[in-house]
Amino acid sequence: MPGSDFRSEVRALIAEILAGLAAILDWQVLGFLAVGVSLGAVFGSLPGLTATMGVAVLTPLTFWVSAEQGLAMLLGIYCGAIPAGGIPAILINVPGTPASIATTWDGYALTRKGSAGLALGVNAIASAVGQLTSIMFLAFLAFPIARFALQFGPAEYFGLALLGISLMAGVSGRHVIKGMLAGMLGLALALVGLDPMTAYPRYTFGMSEFLDGISFVPVMIGLFGLGEVLIQISERHKARKSASAEIGRILPSAPEARTMAGATFSGATVGTMVGAIPAAGGDIGSVIAWEQARRASKDKDSFGKGSLRGLAASCSACNAAIGGAMTTMLTLGIPGDAVSAILIGALLIHGIQPGPLLFAGNQSFVFSIVFLLVFASLLIMAVGLLGARPLARILNIPPPWLWTGIVLFGTVGAYALNNATVDVWAMYAAGLAGFLFRKARIPLGPLVLGLILGPMMESNLRRALILSRGDWLGLLTRPILLVFLAATVLSLLWPLIRRKLASTNPQP
Amino acid sequence: MPETGASEGDPLRYNHASPVVVARLRWILAACALLAACGGAEGPYPAKEIRLIVQAAPGGTSDTVSRVMGSLAESRLGVPIVCENKPGASGALAFSYVARRPADGYTIGHAPVEIAIVRSLGYADLGPSDVSLICMVSKTAPALVVSASSPWRTFEEFLEAAVRERGGIVMANSGIGSIWHFNILLMEQGTGARFTHLPYGGSTPALVSVIGEHSDAAVAGVGEVVSHVQAGKLRALAVFDAARSGVLPDVPTSHELGFPIGAPAWSGFFGPGGMQENQVELLAGAFEAAFGTEEWAKLCRERGMEALFLDKDGFAEFANQQQRFFEREIPKLLRLGGA
Repeated sequence: MPGSDFRSEVRALIAEILAGLAAILDWQVLGFLAVGVSLGAVFGSLPGLTATMGVAVLTPLTFWVSAEQGLAMLLGIYCGAIPAGGIPAILINVPGTPASIATTWDGYALTRKGSAGLALGVNAIASAVGQLTSIMFLAFLAFPIARFALQFGPAEYFGLALLGISLMAGVSGRHVIKGMLAGMLGLALALVGLDPMTAYPRYTFGMSEFLDGISFVPVMIGLFGLGEVLIQISERHKARKSASAEIGRILPSAPEARTMAGATFSGATVGTMVGAIPAAGGDIGSVIAWEQARRASKDKDSFGKGSLRGLAASCSACNAAIGGAMTTMLTLGIPGDAVSAILIGALLIHGIQPGPLLFAGNQSFVFSIVFLLVFASLLIMAVGLLGARPLARILNIPPPWLWTGIVLFGTVGAYALNNATVDVWAMYAAGLAGFLFRKARIPLGPLVLGLILGPMMESNLRRALILSRGDWLGLLTRPILLVFLAATVLSLLWPLIRRKLASTNPQP
Repeated sequence: MPETGASEGDPLRYNHASPVVVARLRWILAACALLAACGGAEGPYPAKEIRLIVQAAPGGTSDTVSRVMGSLAESRLGVPIVCENKPGASGALAFSYVARRPADGYTIGHAPVEIAIVRSLGYADLGPSDVSLICMVSKTAPALVVSASSPWRTFEEFLEAAVRERGGIVMANSGIGSIWHFNILLMEQGTGARFTHLPYGGSTPALVSVIGEHSDAAVAGVGEVVSHVQAGKLRALAVFDAARSGVLPDVPTSHELGFPIGAPAWSGFFGPGGMQENQVELLAGAFEAAFGTEEWAKLCRERGMEALFLDKDGFAEFANQQQRFFEREIPKLLRLGGA
């Protein structure tokens, strides 16, 4: 009888789910998770210390505990670090991790308006909601998402990168031409290092320190952190804006929550999809989510000036990328990002092999991971909301002390990334550039996009051309690429179309 | 550098100032020299933490080997071993950094196969003979894989197609100049096969492109392919080695198939050139004790590495032979690869 078959299958599934939950409902496992989230918050909030580094350094410690305990700690670090990266982005305009670049645009603007508390509250809530949404995707749509991720060949990566780069205009605000110039500079800087196809050194001036290109994190710390410090110092006579260290309330009001809901969920969807694609993570996902929220909004001009929707979309996408990356890792055994690559290694040590076999043979363990991620997202929300007020006290520190602290942590962070002095110099150079750019009202977002997406766009276009034997038109036979190309063209022409519509509408 | 220059420069300056100061300084310097001599010759080594410089980013095989070996050797040495990652330029940055440190036994480095390659690639003027090799702990053979749904079931079928189609098969590699890329070139040189090369920035994206059927085949470490082979996503056609792999026992070796090709990856440890014999032996002893533990055997099993211990003389012989091999082959191979 098919009915009873189905019923027994459901009963077996429920048994697996309960077994998965039971395996982690243990005070030691949950304790390790809490320790992980706290450690992750430290790694994430200090610029230069990344989630990847935290997970990698603590992986050997987990060899001496059980698989559930070790995994709880590592997942805690991973989940805790990403929203924590938004905290310095909101308070001092320095992204704690690359994923929180888009968080600076609206988050820091809110802080300048005296709503730092609200920005931190939205960061905590939207991050948790984004992660929970992506876990729902993981629980119900894992295999379709994984199949989608596997479709990504060189041509598709090129399309994704091109779409990202076309957002340069969107993130430039009113200074589109200057934004494009900054973007070109970012793309030019991305050329430094070994040629990705022939391994021939480009623009390295014979220095082996530049063979791997210009590290992105130190440049980010310099542009955003040091540049902002220099601006504040140079303008301290004019206005004492930073002195009005108001925190304001933390929880959003009900109408505010309603306006953010759409942006949060669409951000989570974008974040999950981008996170599932190997080698594309929260940094790209949050920028695309922010731009998507801006385009869907009626009030486009508020984006970048303290829009709650923009903030919610970017925060939600950052953490949703975790669920996406975990989906690819668990279903295919392929890392969705740098952190999940390390997690695979850690699981192997415990004799657990992520991949289709795990889904078939050890379902309860997959559910354990799902529940760990759920508990982690509740923890980050609690920690984020409770910590908002004490953390926002940073703003009460007298500016000279705060500036000194930012320069100090920025320097240490830039060095800690690769233990290389050349990165510290790159950070200072980027700081000076960030200062001059702001003085000249050149937006920084496009430069960062160029630097992140340039290598992805270049190497994948060249790979795609190797595969099509140099035939450019042959690339157009790939449907996903065509969708990306159409979206790119639309995103570039949209302002023109909108103007056309606006000029015809008033005289019907 | 100010830290080292000051101690020698200062006494000379005081020489013009006051003879009393000079006399005192001489005593102090003599005392310091005596202390330093004691510390070097008879003082118990190691007296403080040892830095272990890893040439790759956190999380990869080199990093895991170094951290696990380091933490297992600590108890034997009685001092902590602190790992520091200095990635870049195929490891050349880390090798040069360690080679420039004082040879006092407190800075050592992880020595992968790249230490025998970087000179041939022009990234650093340094090779195994310029440093103090301590010991080798593991070896990983390369494996040739195709997608599980590909038409080629055996190495012979694959080779026949690769020779016939001359570039029709797309071979993903982990980067031009990487050890697995050289193995593909060795296969072309040794078998007459010709491929279209598709370079990626590492083994993982190269294997993902085969799993996603964007490319036809790839060569990567046995440990990197084994999980995908067991999951039924990839098919291993050959292991480029003389003996069968412990984790892929059913896969034929290149030597069995009549093509004695293959350049493995390996892991060892080294210090700056001119380290004291007894310090090298002490460190090698600690690593050998770590090598004997169940934790190490388990890591090797899980990562598809062959646990292989070579003491400093055995490692020196092996590494220098590897260096000569790459110096001879790389110029030939790169011409062949058209790079």
